[in-house]
Amino acid sequence: MKEGEKEIELIKKGKRLDGRGFEELRPIKIEVGVLKRADGSCYFEMGDNKVMAAVYGPREMHPRHFQDAKMAVVKYRYNMAPFSVDDRKRPGPDRRSVEISKVSREAFDPVIIKEYYPKTAIDVYVEILQSDAGTRTAGINAASVALADAGIPMKDMVSSVAVGKIGGEVVLDLSGMEDNYGEADMPVAMVARTNTITLLQMDGNFKKEEFERGLKLAMDACHKIYELQRTALIERYSKSVGEGEGEE
Amino acid sequence: MGLEVMDDIRKDYVYDVLRSGKRVDGRGFREYRAISVERDVMKRAEGSALVKIGDTEVLVGVKLAPGEPFSDAPDKGIIMTNAELVPMASPEFEPGPPNENSVELARVVDRGIRSSEAIDLEKLCIEEGEKVWMIFIDIHVLDNDGNLVDAAALGAIASLLNFRIPNERHGLTGEDTLPMRDTPVAVTTVKIGGNILADPNLYEANAATSRLTVISNADGALSGMQKSGNGELKEEEIVEMVKIGIEKAKEIRETFLSNFL
Amino acid sequence: MYKVVVPGDFISEEANRAGEGTYVEEGKVYAMKYGIVDDREEIKVVALSGKYVPTKGDVVIGEIVEISFPYWIVDIASPYEARLHTSEFTRNEREKIEFGSMGKYLDLGDLIVAKVMNVDAMMRVDLALKDEFKIGEGGRLIEISHTKVPRLIGRSGSMIRMLKEKCNCFIFIAKNGRVWIKGSEDEMNLALQVVLMIENEAHTSGLTDRVSYFLDSFKR
Repeated sequence: MKEGEKEIELIKKGKRLDGRGFEELRPIKIEVGVLKRADGSCYFEMGDNKVMAAVYGPREMHPRHFQDAKMAVVKYRYNMAPFSVDDRKRPGPDRRSVEISKVSREAFDPVIIKEYYPKTAIDVYVEILQSDAGTRTAGINAASVALADAGIPMKDMVSSVAVGKIGGEVVLDLSGMEDNYGEADMPVAMVARTNTITLLQMDGNFKKEEFERGLKLAMDACHKIYELQRTALIERYSKSVGEGEGEE
Repeated sequence: MGLEVMDDIRKDYVYDVLRSGKRVDGRGFREYRAISVERDVMKRAEGSALVKIGDTEVLVGVKLAPGEPFSDAPDKGIIMTNAELVPMASPEFEPGPPNENSVELARVVDRGIRSSEAIDLEKLCIEEGEKVWMIFIDIHVLDNDGNLVDAAALGAIASLLNFRIPNERHGLTGEDTLPMRDTPVAVTTVKIGGNILADPNLYEANAATSRLTVISNADGALSGMQKSGNGELKEEEIVEMVKIGIEKAKEIRETFLSNFL
Repeated sequence: MYKVVVPGDFISEEANRAGEGTYVEEGKVYAMKYGIVDDREEIKVVALSGKYVPTKGDVVIGEIVEISFPYWIVDIASPYEARLHTSEFTRNEREKIEFGSMGKYLDLGDLIVAKVMNVDAMMRVDLALKDEFKIGEGGRLIEISHTKVPRLIGRSGSMIRMLKEKCNCFIFIAKNGRVWIKGSEDEMNLALQVVLMIENEAHTSGLTDRVSYFLDSFKR
């Protein structure tokens, strides 16, 4: 808000509205393999965002003329539940979700090894059940875990977070309030192992230096999120190993 | 199938030429194709511009109509941006509802106009809570030889720079003009192999793994960005692309928009 | 102790030993799938999930889902359908199968045991019938993830041998994760329960002992 007509103090005494520091993520919770029918799934929380991702496939591609003889076709559907926002969202894809679906799919393109399953489709469904800014990044984090859970061959995992600007400060992982009254928002997705960016969008107002600092901040946070994704996947199986008769 | 095979051959060609340090059309890596901006080309539109970047040709028309404001912004005008990739512009474009590429194109252009706050939306209020001006920015792609985003964004801001408010036609009184507060300009670069090229033509766009559009304002601040495509980008590549974006936007603004202000 | 890895995890510097479920980048071996590392011979990642992709020589259980002269189209629990040519029947017989009479030989819903004869570059899968090809009467078919099949068989067949003995059932495990069980009602139910238990706990250690203990406690 350039004119500052809505004076909302987003930073008080160096802390954000929810008490976080500038470079602090919201709490994250990850559950793997939560859906029975899907080939892979993940439930992901990031602050007040609640997101479910499901992966189906590789499976037969319909209609057939969309098949690719050399590789699997990845489809990604980002969808907001009507009850996920304050004012009910009309069901079905709107332009925003079409765009988010496209860039999110592209965020996975460099990592999914599609040549393994020619002629098939890999469907990634991301449902936003409750939203509080950063839903596309939460969706990507969930989808990444769900793809692994489905046994899809991938070179790497993808991790994602947004940075933004509030009250003139560059901060990590905007909440809904901060997004509404903030000055800039920049979602980033990254492959942690190679430090390469696979999704980058921005709107608002960033000076060049603020952008550069924001990008670094997002990249550092993606490393942290990656560790959480990895841990969730590993623990799922190490936990059940212990459930036997106590043998190691 | 025929087209796909051709694409592969062209891709190889783009790479081969790049390896010898050149671009397929002989341009420098940072060099744009010839740009032309013609304004007020359409009589029925309240603002319009025909932008050519090389052989890429985009027509943008701005229409205004009174409408109901959004409930969360009762005193603000509304911007709606739409893009049509009409079949005439390319053998790959098909008739039908907007696909993800046209939606993305429209939304990225919209993002620049909106984030830069170029339009003072409050000045578009006719009666608070009841009636505001709705600005429709329609992007009509006529010929696609790559880099539609920059052409469409330039066409959009050029059309907006002196649009007329059709008060009389709607039985209203008031100012017939609304000066823009900023001039966001989009600059797209692509990464092919290890090279960063500005203003990709269609061959280059198809050969590129990643594309980054950087939209910046008159003061050099960023108002929008969009990465597109299947590839990855390193931090230093992005920083470089943003730098090029800001520099080129300044040049384009000075050459093509300053005389309109 | 099993080592669980996720895609992109570094596994080893020995690029020359890289096997299934891994990829090599700049001389290093990384995991390509979410799974368990097996580096006894090659360095492999045994996936914990994923779809069955047929390879030549696999023995599978298929279901006839479509008749399209001169082929039966067979679902083999894979993204790829397989096909069975009518000549598979007429090999030993003089008669020629006519268009319209294919259903007399194999009808929709019939289950068959078949061998993957060929998979071409277009992922067309051709099947050949096994001698005892027709199954379906008096038994049960269950489907588990094909990734759990090796565990169900056990090292040099130890698990399945125990299962067959202790449940007193005929059990046939196909490569595509379909398992055919035949025996008395109670014994089939027990075998079924154990197969599902093995599927759920396939990644855990000491599984053979646990299954044995479970079966014994049941018998008592």
